[in-house]
Amino acid sequence: MLKMHNIRKSYRTDTIETHALRDFSLEVNEGEFVSVTGPSGSGKTTFLNIAGMLETPTGGEYLLDGDNVSHLNDRQRSRLRNEKIGFIFQGFNLIPDLNLFDNIDVPLRYRGFNSKERRRRIEKVLEQVGLSARAKHLPSQLSGGQQQRVAIARALAGEPRFLLADEPTGNLDSLMARQVMELLEFINEWGTTIVMVTHDPDLARRAHRNIQIVDGQVSDLQRAVAAAEAATA
Amino acid sequence: MFGYYVSLAIRSLRGTPVLSALMVAAIAVGVGASMTVLTLNYMMSQNPLAHKDSVLYAVQLDSWDPNEAYQRSSNEMPVQLTYRDATALLRSDIPARQAAMHRYGFTVSSDDFELRPFSGEARITTRQFFALFDVPFLYGGTWDADADSSPVQQVVLSKATNEKLFGGENSVGRSIDLNGEPFTVVGVIDKWNPSPKIYDLNNGPFNEAEELYIPFGLHRKFEIYSWGNTNGWASGDSGEGYEGHLQGESVWIQYWVELQSAEQLENYRDFLTGYIREQKQQGRFQRPLKFALTRPSEWLVLNEVLSDDNRVLGWLSLAFLLVCVVNAVALMLAKFLRKAPEAGVRRALGASRQAVFVQHVIESGCIGVFGGLCGILLALVGLGTIRQLSFGYIDQVATMDWLMMLAAVGLAILASLLAGIYPAWRVSRTNPSLYLKTQ
Amino acid sequence: MLELKPMLSALWRNKISAMLIALQLALTLAIVSNASIIVQDRIEKMARPTGMPVEDLIAVTFQPIAQDYDMHGAVLADLDLLRSIPGVVDATHTNQIPVSGSGSASVFHNQPNQEIGGEVSNYYETGPHFIQTLGMNLVAGRNFTPADMQVVQPNEDSRTRVAIITRQMADALYPDGNALGKSFYNSNGTDPVEIVGIVERHLGAWVSWSKAGNVIFFPRLVETNFKRYMVRAEPGRRDEVLKAVEKQLAERDPQRVMHIETLAERLERSYMSDNVMVKVLSAVVTLLTFIVALGIVGLTVFWINQRRKQIGVRRALGATRLNISRYFLVENTLIAITGVALGMAGAQIANHFMVSSYSQPALSLPVLLVCALILVSVSLAAALVPALRAANISPATATRSV
Repeated sequence: MLKMHNIRKSYRTDTIETHALRDFSLEVNEGEFVSVTGPSGSGKTTFLNIAGMLETPTGGEYLLDGDNVSHLNDRQRSRLRNEKIGFIFQGFNLIPDLNLFDNIDVPLRYRGFNSKERRRRIEKVLEQVGLSARAKHLPSQLSGGQQQRVAIARALAGEPRFLLADEPTGNLDSLMARQVMELLEFINEWGTTIVMVTHDPDLARRAHRNIQIVDGQVSDLQRAVAAAEAATA
Repeated sequence: MFGYYVSLAIRSLRGTPVLSALMVAAIAVGVGASMTVLTLNYMMSQNPLAHKDSVLYAVQLDSWDPNEAYQRSSNEMPVQLTYRDATALLRSDIPARQAAMHRYGFTVSSDDFELRPFSGEARITTRQFFALFDVPFLYGGTWDADADSSPVQQVVLSKATNEKLFGGENSVGRSIDLNGEPFTVVGVIDKWNPSPKIYDLNNGPFNEAEELYIPFGLHRKFEIYSWGNTNGWASGDSGEGYEGHLQGESVWIQYWVELQSAEQLENYRDFLTGYIREQKQQGRFQRPLKFALTRPSEWLVLNEVLSDDNRVLGWLSLAFLLVCVVNAVALMLAKFLRKAPEAGVRRALGASRQAVFVQHVIESGCIGVFGGLCGILLALVGLGTIRQLSFGYIDQVATMDWLMMLAAVGLAILASLLAGIYPAWRVSRTNPSLYLKTQ
Repeated sequence: MLELKPMLSALWRNKISAMLIALQLALTLAIVSNASIIVQDRIEKMARPTGMPVEDLIAVTFQPIAQDYDMHGAVLADLDLLRSIPGVVDATHTNQIPVSGSGSASVFHNQPNQEIGGEVSNYYETGPHFIQTLGMNLVAGRNFTPADMQVVQPNEDSRTRVAIITRQMADALYPDGNALGKSFYNSNGTDPVEIVGIVERHLGAWVSWSKAGNVIFFPRLVETNFKRYMVRAEPGRRDEVLKAVEKQLAERDPQRVMHIETLAERLERSYMSDNVMVKVLSAVVTLLTFIVALGIVGLTVFWINQRRKQIGVRRALGATRLNISRYFLVENTLIAITGVALGMAGAQIANHFMVSSYSQPALSLPVLLVCALILVSVSLAAALVPALRAANISPATATRSV
């Protein structure tokens, strides 16, 4: 489903070269809910950006749905991202000038749906997240939890196979965080694969599987466990 | 998607009204100023004889002072002919059509006591003038051939003069008094007002066409001196009195020929060469043998219809527009970079770099459309002001036709697209992940 | 302490925006300085003394209807009539209207039988009343007397023996001075014309002529089929006199077409293109400066907003309000000076082109420096308000996230 093999990513400034990911390998299966944890600067976000094809790796192979996407051009990657991947961010990242309806409309526009289809989908996901009544509101008129639900609706509107979440509850109080988490679990049950980066060990434990990244690599301990599991299977 | 991008652009412009207004103002002022000047220059550079540009020629002969070349034209030949040479050239039957002419003024009066006598601008010319310049007739036609060489008191009226004198009805056969003498109307021309007044650029290239057209055979009878420019170099050369003026070396006649084939052109060149040789034997034309046949388009350049001042203004206005574009680039860069986080979100949601680029270029194009429309208004105000400062002299050229209005919007869109391309490129290239994580 | 080094590196990071402002200022300086020099040149041209009380003068042109018209008789009768009108100081006949753009010129020599060289001069055919009518100042010699007058047909050799000339023309014919009493000749001419008087100045018929001010007056009346008069009114009575002139001339002889106008109007028309040039260029300079100033305000505000947090941090770390404002003003000055330096070079190049191709005046260093100084000041003024507002950013901004 999602397979990374020996991915490397380094950033270069005038003087220093930083290695964000080193020989990073990982496989996520269809329908899984994977949480990713690790200390600040360990490479979690870089992993997510590469998984979402927002950045290209310096080296290694990345297979999405069995296709090698490492060598696609920007337009092809954007197309794949639009069709197969939904993003959720810590800061919600709703477009402040657009109301909820138009925010959810954004990925559907790039998908090229006609207006009837777009409307159908927007109304459907707004209902799923319980915000149908507020379609014409601007993001600034909503609470944080509501904003994040809109962001999730926007991510889901294109019916992606993958949902990539970067600290989706980081800016929310615990009640709202629980609501959002429940929503994500619900989505996962309906078949969407979720990869979630988080700091919160409680949330991480609720996933099917937890991956810990240390210094740009899946931590050795986990690799050992995975190897052992593979051996016994 | 185009409609979507336009609606996004308008939303975005409304989101930052002050910055948007500044950008629109920059483009509008730049386009307004440059279109004001470019319209003037464009109208002044029109060639009203463009459709006959390949067959019409202005004739110049170098009959000037043996000691010194003619200084007031760029090809160092007088732009007009002497009366003597003009009448000699008229005898040639090589050109398909030809016309000698100059400006004059008659007092116009009639038996109608309600009409106060007035001074009528006149063109003294030969009968083929009308056919040569494609002047349309409303009634009647040109005079007979003998009127070009003998005194025949006939006149062709302009449409406006016919309206003033005869209420616009067919006046062929009626009579009017010019300088107190009766003239018979033989024709009335339709509205005809070439701008620039290419057939005679001596007295203001943007003056109106004449009110009266008078046969060339009346010089001696009325002792007609040109009301245009008369330039001489040999004073008192050929005797006194009016005959002395006609036979003298002063130049005051404009001369045009129509040569329809290369053969005609070649024959006419031979004819002119022969004529000058013959005159040299009589002691005239002491300068090196030189003449020129110039097409209308080149004639306008030779006579510097577009003045140095106009050219300076043209360049300045383009430089002005450039500053406005640079200004708009800086403002758009600021605006687009401020919106970079939104672009990052769009990228995450599946917009390609190209899509982000196109979206922002369209936004700058919208600024161009608004700037262009405001620019047209400014240009109209600018042209109105210039008309007022010019006492009506350039009313004909200080107007905007549809083409220039379209050009104004086109220029504005081009300017704003140019201004938008770099900022749009910048925003489409920024790494979206920069804006997704941090706030 | 000026933090030049960090400032420069901050500028380098924003180099495109900084360059765009500098480029704007450079182009603006190139345009403004060249426009200013043209404006200055034209204003000086229009301010030249004409040598006449322009506001008091009226010009009359008439054309009789009849072919066999006694022009000489009509002129004498008209002038007597004109001089009798209350409010009229004096009147004269003339072949051309001063500063009207239409007139006669010829080449004159200070030796007989000359073909080459000589001095070209505008010339009037007028009479003894012209000095008084045109309000000129006779600085040497005498006025014409009625005995000097000659009445001739067009193209008839006039054999005028005396003339009055402007001092400029006198100096051109006789550079050593003492032109009074000396003679000049037509091209190829042998008959001397004696200079009996010299007037201080007169601009002549063409205001834009390179030899404007070279003027000769002949005591002559040519019986052309149209004639002109100049009429001088007492100060402040011109409009009233104009009406009376129009009425009385028409009454005396209605069988002619007449055109009456004020000389002021005529002069304004003659300076039309200069006036348009001055107005258009002034508008360009003003608008351009305004647009550039607005652009600088817009960008400074933007930059300050971009760096709100940074400013907050600086304030939290002890920077005073003055430090903050000064930072932005110094930054703006650095950009402005760079732009203006580029612009001075650009202005010189543009001016070279203007001078060589379009015969415009050369750019002088003082004008360029003044324009540069003004632009730097405008740029500073434009940055001042945003920079002062930046100082109001609270140090608490540093600790707030978002």
